[in-house]
Amino acid sequence: MKKKVIVACGGAVATSTIAANKVAELAKANQIAVEICQIRISEIASNLPADLIVTTSKVKRDYGVPLITGMPFISGIGIEKTEQSILNVLKG
Amino acid sequence: MIWEELNENLVFESLDAKSTDAIFEQMGRKMIDGGFAKESYIEGLKKREAEFPTGLDLGEIGVAIPHTEVEFALQEAFAIARLKEPVSFIQMGSDDEPVQVHLVIMMCVKHPHEHLEHLTRILKIIQDTNTLKRILKAKGRSEMIHALKDKEMELEIEAIRCQDTPSIRA
Repeated sequence: MKKKVIVACGGAVATSTIAANKVAELAKANQIAVEICQIRISEIASNLPADLIVTTSKVKRDYGVPLITGMPFISGIGIEKTEQSILNVLKG
Repeated sequence: MIWEELNENLVFESLDAKSTDAIFEQMGRKMIDGGFAKESYIEGLKKREAEFPTGLDLGEIGVAIPHTEVEFALQEAFAIARLKEPVSFIQMGSDDEPVQVHLVIMMCVKHPHEHLEHLTRILKIIQDTNTLKRILKAKGRSEMIHALKDKEMELEIEAIRCQDTPSIRA
C-alpha cells in the first residue's frame, strides 16, 4: 500500500518543496511507493491520516503521527540520519 | 546565475551590525535605494524573520537567508554580507535555537517560482564548506563574487554531466 507523507512548512512553499523532492527521491531509490502531500502547517490536521509528517518549520502539536524535521535537507547537515529515520518509518 | 546578478553595491565586505534589525536596515536600505524593493522592505524583513527565522547552522559557519513576502519586492535581487562580528539569528525550523551567523545572503523575491530555483542554488553553494570559507576569507568584494562564480560554474558542469549520463544519476 502507498504510504502517505505530509511535507509541510509554515510560510512560503520553497523549503517544503525542497524537502518534498528529497523525500520523493529517497522513497524511489528504496522502492517504496509514497503519496506526497505538500501543504502548510495549518493544513496538517485536515489532511490526516498519514504515515509520516516531515516539516521544515516549528510544530508543537502532536498529530499522533511520526514527525521528522526536514531541516537537514536544507542545511545539508545530518542528511543521512534523517533519511534513515524516514526510511525506518516508511518501511515499518 | 547569482554571481552574474550580483550588483557590487549589494555586496558587503564587512558589515558592522549588532543585531538582526541592524543588518536588515543596512542591507534592506541598499535594496530599496537600488530600486529592487519597496520602502516597506525593511519592515517586511523584520516581520518575516520573526515569524519564520532563517538562520542555518552549517557546522562551523552560520548563514542566514532573510527575505520577505513577494509584495515588498520590485525586482529579483541578492545581497551578500560578511558580518564584522557574528550576529545571533534564530535557526530556521525552530522557535528559539540560536545560531551565530557570519554570512548573510538576502533575497529580494518577486517571483515564487524563481525563488525556489534561487533558494536551491543558494543551498547548494552554502552546503559546500570550502566555498563558504573562500567567501569568508576573500580579500575584497570581487574575490567574494569570484568564489561564488567558481562554485556556480562547478554546479553548472555537474548538471550538464547528469543530463548526459542519466544512468549515473539514478
